Amino acid sequence: MNKKTSPECVKDFPNPGFGLGLRSKHFNDILENKPEVDWFEIISENFMDSGGRPKNVLRRIAERYKVVMHGVSLSIGSADDLNFEYLTKLKNLAAEINPLWISDHLCWTGINGLNSHDLLPMPLTEESLKHVCKKIDQAQDFLGRPLVFENPSTYLRFKQSTINEWDFLRLMTEETGCGILLDVNNVYVSSFNNDFDAAHYIENLPHEKIVQMHLAGHQNCGDYIIDTHDNFVAPQVWQLFSLAWKLTNGAAVLLEWDSNIPDFDVYHSELLKAKDFMNDLPEIRNFETHKKSESDGVSNPLDFLVTDVSYELNR
Amino acid sequence: MPTDTQKNLAQIQNWMQSVLVSPEFDSANTADFVNDSSRLSAERHLRIYRQSYIARLRDCMKNQFSALAFALGEDLFQMFADQYLEAYPSGSYTLNDLGKNFAAHLQETRPDAGSAEKESWIDFMIELANFEYSLSIIFDEHADEKIVLADDSTTDESLKLIPVFHLFRHTYPVCRYYLDVVNKNEPELPFEETSFCTVSRYNFRLNLLEINPAQYFFLEKLRDGESVAEAKDQTVYKFGFDAKDFENVWQMWRKNFIAADFLRVESVGAD
Ligand SMILES: [Fe+2]
Repeated sequence: MNKKTSPECVKDFPNPGFGLGLRSKHFNDILENKPEVDWFEIISENFMDSGGRPKNVLRRIAERYKVVMHGVSLSIGSADDLNFEYLTKLKNLAAEINPLWISDHLCWTGINGLNSHDLLPMPLTEESLKHVCKKIDQAQDFLGRPLVFENPSTYLRFKQSTINEWDFLRLMTEETGCGILLDVNNVYVSSFNNDFDAAHYIENLPHEKIVQMHLAGHQNCGDYIIDTHDNFVAPQVWQLFSLAWKLTNGAAVLLEWDSNIPDFDVYHSELLKAKDFMNDLPEIRNFETHKKSESDGVSNPLDFLVTDVSYELNR
Repeated sequence: MPTDTQKNLAQIQNWMQSVLVSPEFDSANTADFVNDSSRLSAERHLRIYRQSYIARLRDCMKNQFSALAFALGEDLFQMFADQYLEAYPSGSYTLNDLGKNFAAHLQETRPDAGSAEKESWIDFMIELANFEYSLSIIFDEHADEKIVLADDSTTDESLKLIPVFHLFRHTYPVCRYYLDVVNKNEPELPFEETSFCTVSRYNFRLNLLEINPAQYFFLEKLRDGESVAEAKDQTVYKFGFDAKDFENVWQMWRKNFIAADFLRVESVGAD
């Protein structure tokens, strides 16, 4: 694969179309059947240390498909400094597989060297905005490319917060030139949990900076919603997607599914439903019934980040 | 805790992290940091993060130590996992090494630590924990897998072990137990019994095989760089075999080792 340098401005990023999260459960399916998927999003941490099958499969997939690197451990919002060991591995992986872009989340994962392995919510203040922008500048300088940041699903709002999340993201992009990954499901989840209007949130983002969208399923637990990524996309999220699609002029779309992962065909056809919602809101439709999932509602499930070795045994 | 509401980023994050990782929920200062919403109190908002933190890491531990989780049963495994996560909270960007110190932790906190009488089941649990963690490392270790496997026509002189090849010696039948769990045979806890096994990787797939003490000795010599002829000589000497008889044994081993993808052809000019 020939080496291209990444565009200097997120507005020049290509639009790869409709993609799926790459999950080890589907490795064989993809390698054998070469499905017509526009692109794959990988979880960077799953591959940056790999010397075995995950890396081998990724190399083969990156030869055939466009790939985006999506990370969960940059911890851009932590009061801690950036971890340059981590960034070096990220940079090496990017040099090897040549992703369209690299993304992570507007969040912190821990402080004082700890990693909670969760995407924790930011206090949205002038101080944290300044801090986050400084770290984004450092990370972008080090990686030599603009980064893309996703709005995480949040389950609380800090007393100290003085800035709306959509404004915080806009100010971030203005200050650093980074792009936005708009997770439509996360907007819905956060808006339900924290009493704001999801459509207003999406309307007030800088749409020209939205490089990509995420879709995913969630679990409604009655008085709060958990972002479980274990289900079909909810009707309310499809509606928001329709709005976001129009406002972003059709940004790249990616469906996430991280727990109770279905067979590849089911996963792919759920993604392609997005095409039904691209223009006008469809008539009353038969949505997939939301079966109560078997998992007990863990947000940002990370099962898929740990290899089930027993699955990889020759027997 | 200062009375001002203007807490800075580090103070807020320190507070929230300490609430997440401590085993008991301390809600004392919640109102200083978190808003109530129309549906939930500040405390319930915070509890969502607390519950997810421990549930997520428990899941990962159970995934990384599935046979141990079966051996201990759900409750006991969770108790050990929770204690471990409290003693060794993750500082890594990856979850692959979440269980790195689990076996050491089980050793440090073994319930029979104070008593003269040692409980043997704990030794089994520690060996199993070590073994399962090793498997996850071997599965993803770096190696040049562009090799030519040996076949019947390969001469003894050019036989070499494949790059990803590990030998284990246990005081319990750990490998058999692990495979029984994976194959859903629901094994009973085993009795003490010295056992030997290989864990090898070819074409990115792991192979686990139980072997006998003489094979272990022989393969250890090969692994340490000795030739097949040297390893054979030493095995004959060590186990007091008859050299002629052993030649027949070796022919059988050779066939089995080749069938198990243990052996490759030494590349000319390399090594
Ligand atoms: Fe997302």
